[in-house]
Amino acid sequence: MSYEAYLSGDPLIVTAAVTGGVHGKEANPNIPETAEEIGHAAAAVEEAGAAVVHLHARKPNGERTFSTERFQEIDDAVREHTENIIIQHSTGGTGAPDEDRHLPLRTDPPPEMASLDMGPLNRYDHLTSENTRGLVDSLHDEMEERGIKPELEVFNDGHRNEVFGLLERRDLADPVYATLIFGPGTLTPPTPRNFLTAIEGLPDGALFNTLGFGKHQLPFSSMGIVFGGHVRVGLEDNVYYRRGELAESNAQLVRRVVRLAGELEREVASPAQAREILEL
Amino acid sequence: MVCPYLEYSDGTDGTAFDEPRAFCTVIDEFVQPMRADICNDRYELNHERDCEIYREHVDGDGK
Repeated sequence: MSYEAYLSGDPLIVTAAVTGGVHGKEANPNIPETAEEIGHAAAAVEEAGAAVVHLHARKPNGERTFSTERFQEIDDAVREHTENIIIQHSTGGTGAPDEDRHLPLRTDPPPEMASLDMGPLNRYDHLTSENTRGLVDSLHDEMEERGIKPELEVFNDGHRNEVFGLLERRDLADPVYATLIFGPGTLTPPTPRNFLTAIEGLPDGALFNTLGFGKHQLPFSSMGIVFGGHVRVGLEDNVYYRRGELAESNAQLVRRVVRLAGELEREVASPAQAREILEL
Repeated sequence: MVCPYLEYSDGTDGTAFDEPRAFCTVIDEFVQPMRADICNDRYELNHERDCEIYREHVDGDGK
């Protein structure tokens, strides 16, 4: 995708990452954590214009779990409260056994999409999310078996190499869909030049989603819209609406990016349109 | 080793939660769920040696 895609008016898919697993209500009390809270948040972001909801599962105390049963509770709540939104599960995690990373893929029905981290990233001083090639391949294979489209999470430029490696090892269904992630630490440094380098270096025909952490969410959303990509926002990635002001809700962040797309005259995809674009 | 400074609390300093959440007594604050995961015993850390929160707090106070 490119500026040409923007000029041609391709619809924008907005993904809402509503909860995440790193921070919780101690960072922003508006983060939904229970299944019921996540269900209502999904309804609100769908109403606001999101086509995809990216989900993590949590224990009652806010800590993360990979439990299939917990994902099932969340999916049931999301389906109860939403009309047609696409469910995307996270399989990412830090320090979790490989077998646990497969558990989010085993709900009934399975999610239409699931994240697939392309390589390692550091957390704090003592943790690394390893994401070995063996784990990437095994997660991909189970997704393929269960009809789940992988969302390739590219945390840095080296992970783009890993996308090409995965394409050599596995036959991914078109279109390849990669989320490019910009921010501190192991993430791609958030500069416009790096953004252009990242999108220009994707495999031919690949679609991209744009994810800027924290204060980079708004400017990188803008770049994603203008350069024909798609956009992810949400309290998982950014708990603020603006400097010093906590976001009121995930929907508030979605509404802003939808307004931005409107000003830039880019149509926002409905869930049905997103399914067509992603060939789900 | 579970961090000796990690407690679970449903409210302090005006912050209230429905379920008890991880509270670090070194910094006297609730901590992120992922940090709580580190503080629990999955990573075999020596918390006084390895915990950056602990070290930063101690260094900052000059103790």
